[in-house]
Amino acid sequence: MEFKKIQLNEDEIPKKWYNVSADLPSMVDPPLHPGTKEPITPDDLSAIFPMELIKQEASTEKYIKIPEEVRDIYRIWRPSPLIRADRLEKVLKTPAKIYYKWEGVSPAGSHKRNTAIPQAYYNMKAGTERIATETGAGQWGSAISFGTAFFDMECTVYMVRASYDQKPYRKSLMQAWGAECIPSPSNMTEAGRKMLKMFPNTGGSLGAAISEAVEDAATHDNTNYSLGSVLNHVCLHQTIIGLETQEQFKKIDDYPDVVIGCVGGGSNFAGMAFPFARDKIDGSHPDVDIIGAEPMACPTLTKGLYEYDYGDTVGLVPILKMFTLGHDFMPPSIHAGGLRYHGDSPLVCKLVRDNYIRAVAYHQTEVLKSAVLFGKTEGHIIAPESSHALHCAIQEALKCKETGEEKTIVFNNSGHGNFDLAAYEAYFNGSLMDYEYPEDLINQSLKKLPMRN
Amino acid sequence: MKIGVVLNPIAGMGGAVGLKGTDGAALGRAIELGASPRSPERIRNTLLRLFCKDIPSISIYSCSGSMGGDILDELGIPHTIAYVANGETSKQDTMDACRSLLSESVDLVLFCGGDGTARDICSVVGDSVPILGIPAGVKMYSSVFAVSPNAAADVLTSFLRGDCTLREAEVMDIDEEKYRNGVLDRKMFGQATTPYVPNHVQAAKCAYFSEGEATSKENIARFASEFMSDGSIYILGVGSTTKAISESLGIKKTLLGIDIVHNGALLKADANESDILSLLDSGANVKIIVSPLGAQGFIFGRGNHQISPYVLQRVGRENVIVVGTPQKLQNTPYLFVDTGDHDLDMLLAGHMSVVCGYRLAARKSVLTC
Repeated sequence: MEFKKIQLNEDEIPKKWYNVSADLPSMVDPPLHPGTKEPITPDDLSAIFPMELIKQEASTEKYIKIPEEVRDIYRIWRPSPLIRADRLEKVLKTPAKIYYKWEGVSPAGSHKRNTAIPQAYYNMKAGTERIATETGAGQWGSAISFGTAFFDMECTVYMVRASYDQKPYRKSLMQAWGAECIPSPSNMTEAGRKMLKMFPNTGGSLGAAISEAVEDAATHDNTNYSLGSVLNHVCLHQTIIGLETQEQFKKIDDYPDVVIGCVGGGSNFAGMAFPFARDKIDGSHPDVDIIGAEPMACPTLTKGLYEYDYGDTVGLVPILKMFTLGHDFMPPSIHAGGLRYHGDSPLVCKLVRDNYIRAVAYHQTEVLKSAVLFGKTEGHIIAPESSHALHCAIQEALKCKETGEEKTIVFNNSGHGNFDLAAYEAYFNGSLMDYEYPEDLINQSLKKLPMRN
Repeated sequence: MKIGVVLNPIAGMGGAVGLKGTDGAALGRAIELGASPRSPERIRNTLLRLFCKDIPSISIYSCSGSMGGDILDELGIPHTIAYVANGETSKQDTMDACRSLLSESVDLVLFCGGDGTARDICSVVGDSVPILGIPAGVKMYSSVFAVSPNAAADVLTSFLRGDCTLREAEVMDIDEEKYRNGVLDRKMFGQATTPYVPNHVQAAKCAYFSEGEATSKENIARFASEFMSDGSIYILGVGSTTKAISESLGIKKTLLGIDIVHNGALLKADANESDILSLLDSGANVKIIVSPLGAQGFIFGRGNHQISPYVLQRVGRENVIVVGTPQKLQNTPYLFVDTGDHDLDMLLAGHMSVVCGYRLAARKSVLTC
């Protein structure tokens, strides 16, 4: 019989993460110090990150061992299942096979714990007592709260106000794991006060919340900063998703033709995509089509410029070479809060730039329509962020219907939508706005990037 | 069923020449400026569409000459003249005509005009029988109007077939003299009933005063002041969002008129169609910024007739920038165009990206009427 779920045993949880930096045909341009604009050194980062993570950030080793303590905690929800969406296939009448890697099984409901646990672990090892961080949709804040709770650390989460208002229960979840959750911009930091003065009614942005958390960490000796996406070490930890997926496909003697993830800061996408990008770069699977799906409201990879830009709104964190909409871009309050980031992981951007990965962008109404179809056919009510990947998978499956190709499509279903029902409600009552990025009118405002004239 | 038909033959004549109405002495000025009657064409469209449909038999009661009889004769539609107007018509004729129609026990009064006409009709008919307006005026703030002449035919068809509901509708009017001087003094004049089919009858224009919307306007204005520095000449349409843009440039906006702006400076306040056409003749690169009006969502064809079909054809869809706050867009399911030129409307229809914040837009569907 054909199984619905392709499962791995606990002893098959990967023992190493995969580092795509080792395989890139050309190096990523180095991150620059926001003050000197010179390449950043490990010492520059040591004020806010533990040394083990700084090493991982700059590492060019192909595989990095997962500490046993981390693997032990991973066992709570990993390995996550790879599931065949056969009921969805039937409704679409597609000859394609659609699989999804279901990361919604983790206790906080998303992939974010894959990096929250190791980040908390390395901080604990370095003697950090408290973590300051930001969260967009609340997934990362919940995940790191859980991680710090496991290693007896305190945690303060700056949550983008638009999400804080849309998803009040995320805050309760963080509190249940012992963290403090503050809507951003807040009056707690200089950066927050500055933004509130400029935009008193703002719904906030991920870039703004990052500024607050970094300032908090830099001004408290016992506190480190932790980032839930974008950075190389975060993408590294997430590769456990793609590595497991590859093992699961081996069990059914298949290999996907199309690999999809949604892109905000890029980490869940990187986690799924990088092990497949490895196979594309080394020529073992040169034709695998790797697609990043992003919102039209914040179309970084599809409409951004490939330039150096600040990772945060205020300009406290390193300047990164990436596709960017400008660090002062305040994305609209779409429901896929986790995809509201002006830039993207430099590694993801580099792979897009070098044509190993392509990107597409969708409006939120069409995305939610697909999410509702998924709920009706496969049962899971999934996050609006993950629904972008789903929508892309459906588009690819519909193309197969036209061409008759029997492709194998896999998407990273990065989290459940149990805290996102406001998005579904807005969809049902017809009040979802299809925000988009007025590219032509905007191009001149990107002149504000730090390394452009 | 008996249907009363009243036409205000001079409604809408002030629009294309930048006069915002034909009340009071404005009519003479409109004629001097070369305005031509607009309402006969509008009611013709409604009647042609109505009689193409499969409707129950009706008796039409109307007025003599330019108030209805002429156009009904022209279209060969049988009717009874219930009111005879002598010489140049006035609002008194509209009111007297309504009295005659009521004495014939009509079931509905179909009229063609603007807010002033609606006000005159409402003052006599009240809510005794339903009224339905074919939009032909410059100002149409009342919710007794269908969104277009074609839509009026569709609503009336539903009414005749008995498959639509009646609802209370506000009859609004603004003081035209104040309006020409940039003051929007809008008040509810009275209550009428009107047949209701969703999307075919205009929602009364809503005003938004929340702090959130004021901030949104500032954000739109901040963005506009950036992209307007490209050297093009900008035609700024009617409304408070375009007013915010003017203010951000330090220019006083003509509240209900069209202004022309170049490199942050005012070229011409309260411009009319020929001002715009001479700019185009000079070979300038012209762009238009308009905002959907009220809750109805019209971007062309209401309150901005100076931006005529000919102007729009020459400027091109690609040079039309629509701006609107998210709060307004949220309550405006669709945008409408009703330029009077069907082919042009078809060209303008489809998806448009509406600027709704700083470096932000929302996709909206633009429909023809």
